[in-house]
Amino acid sequence: MQYEVEVNHRIRQVSVRRADGRFVVGVDGRECTIDVARIDAHTLSLLVGTSSYDVSVVADPASGQLALSVGAVVLGVSLNGRRRWGRREDGGHDADGPHQLKAPMPGKIVRVLVKAGEAVRQRQPLVVIEAMKMENELRAARDGVVAELHVAEGQSVDAGALVAVVVPA
Amino acid sequence: MKKVLIANRGEIAVRVIRACRELGLSTVAVYSEADRTALHVRDADDACAIGPSPPRDSYLRIDAILDAARRSGADAVHPGYGFLAENEDFAAAVRDAGLTFIGPSAEAVALMGSKTAARAAALGAGVAVVPGTDTPLSAEVSDADMARLAETIGYPLLVKAVAGGGGKGMRTVTEPSDLSGAVRGARSEAGASFGNAAVYLERRLTRPRHVEVQLLADHHGTVLPFVERECSIQRRHQKVVEETPSLAVTPAIREAMTAAAAAVARSVGYTNAGTIEFLLDEDGRFYFLEMNTRLQVEHPITEMVTGVDLVRWQIRIARGERLDLDRARLLAPTGHAIECRIYAEDPDNGFLPSPGRILHLRVPSGPGIRDDSAATAGLEVPIFYDPLISKLIAWAEDRPSAIRRMKRALGEYVVTGIKTTVPFFAWLLDEPDFLAGRFHTTYLDDVLQGRNGRAFGEPSAEVAEVAAMAAALQAVLSPSSAASPADPALAADAVSRRWKARARVEGLR
Repeated sequence: MQYEVEVNHRIRQVSVRRADGRFVVGVDGRECTIDVARIDAHTLSLLVGTSSYDVSVVADPASGQLALSVGAVVLGVSLNGRRRWGRREDGGHDADGPHQLKAPMPGKIVRVLVKAGEAVRQRQPLVVIEAMKMENELRAARDGVVAELHVAEGQSVDAGALVAVVVPA
Repeated sequence: MKKVLIANRGEIAVRVIRACRELGLSTVAVYSEADRTALHVRDADDACAIGPSPPRDSYLRIDAILDAARRSGADAVHPGYGFLAENEDFAAAVRDAGLTFIGPSAEAVALMGSKTAARAAALGAGVAVVPGTDTPLSAEVSDADMARLAETIGYPLLVKAVAGGGGKGMRTVTEPSDLSGAVRGARSEAGASFGNAAVYLERRLTRPRHVEVQLLADHHGTVLPFVERECSIQRRHQKVVEETPSLAVTPAIREAMTAAAAAVARSVGYTNAGTIEFLLDEDGRFYFLEMNTRLQVEHPITEMVTGVDLVRWQIRIARGERLDLDRARLLAPTGHAIECRIYAEDPDNGFLPSPGRILHLRVPSGPGIRDDSAATAGLEVPIFYDPLISKLIAWAEDRPSAIRRMKRALGEYVVTGIKTTVPFFAWLLDEPDFLAGRFHTTYLDDVLQGRNGRAFGEPSAEVAEVAAMAAALQAVLSPSSAASPADPALAADAVSRRWKARARVEGLR
């Protein structure tokens, strides 16, 4: 079996075949033999050589990815080109392009701190969103001008809702 | 006392249920719509629905909670912390309904719950307080009057909710021009969190430590202070790591501070469990900050170094029993204890809340480890409440061993489906200043600002490779469980519809 697996923004080609009760797994052409023990529906114990890894893999409907842990390290993994939808775009935006500020969680806009057309600096708070009883500031990811403002005070927003767009001045 | 209603949710409700069960008392949980599947509901002997998910419609409704007590036949009420724990009307209503309130008297809650009245009480008991306004700011105070008042206290200053706690309704102001905005923000947050929007001003000391003294007081005049807790590791005024004892507290400071704490409690006729918070400056001077008239989130670390079950004693005191603990033992800790508050927050995204379903959970255990939690796999962490999902506590013979033990336990703590602050703690516990005990109340905010959003604990190349192999292996072994949704767009839509439906129900829209 051949899979395309994306971990941490890097895509790896992974092949899996059975051999003598074990698995031969290739990552980008390099192969190793793994002893796999199934613990429960989503927990595996892997022995790669003598190195022991406790792994959990669960499909996460909220992100469209696999929620995966290796030991206590948690990672989001996509299988076969299923990129996660609804990802934050402020992390990977082009530094020279417009920045779309999106609500990272559902909540209520309690304050709008800027007006459309206003010049803003990087990390300047644009709106305050309340979720889980705490007020959180959503900040500009770049210097520029507020080109679009899509929320008003008192409005509730879903995770991923477009809040504002900041474009280069 | 036979049946205790716990007017709370989350880990503290589970903690109180455990203490009740050990005393042979039966328990009643109350729950909002969002909490039907929560662990405290599943663990209690009885459970009563008290309303919709927003706190003001359920956990803050005195009438609904008293009605639940009546329906279930409870004869006592434990308030936990947060929600109604420091609401004097609640304590009085419980008493007036003929039930035992497992906490201080309504009068003591009222007096010490007002931060301004509490400061006056401390001064009366001969304990120094941080300079600040003697009365709450009036709702109609003009910006000019407020600015004049602030000048007399001096900048930098703090705007604090009179009914506050846990860093909510609090703002730091360094520039006079930021004052009115900060007061507005603090009022709105205080109103939403405590149902009381009153705020006051207090000077912010330079590089102080937050050190507090736990007390137990019975109805027969005995007040017992415990060894101090060091709570200076805070993010935006919210404690995230606590430890006991404090490296900054000498035996002489301990003696003076615990005596001062007991004097304040005695002067107001305080009963049950309470905590007096102090700021400790770099010269070893301490100032009364406020009194928490309830059980504290961080009470387990005191239990770990003294062997005293504080919740059990809260109940015994409420039953009228005498405190017969050895005073000297409470001030002579055995070993060292640390607590990390594990929050459903994304440390790599400005610590924004990360509500959602816990898909996989493995909790640490073993020597010296205690996990006070209400989290289970499959549990949906709701958006309506504090994002605390677990308190991880490590005890060992000394501080370095306790830190190593905590790091070991963090390495066993696996939570997927939501983001948690576990990777952040793993980073913090390697910081040289933390290890050396060189910190104060804004230390953490300062170093976090210096990191400028850099990620905590990027997975190593080895772990990323194992993850890639594991994902493929799971797809081979169990195609259905590893399969991504057939159409991600459809799944996205379904989730968003669910949120919208809930938001409509809860009146958020």
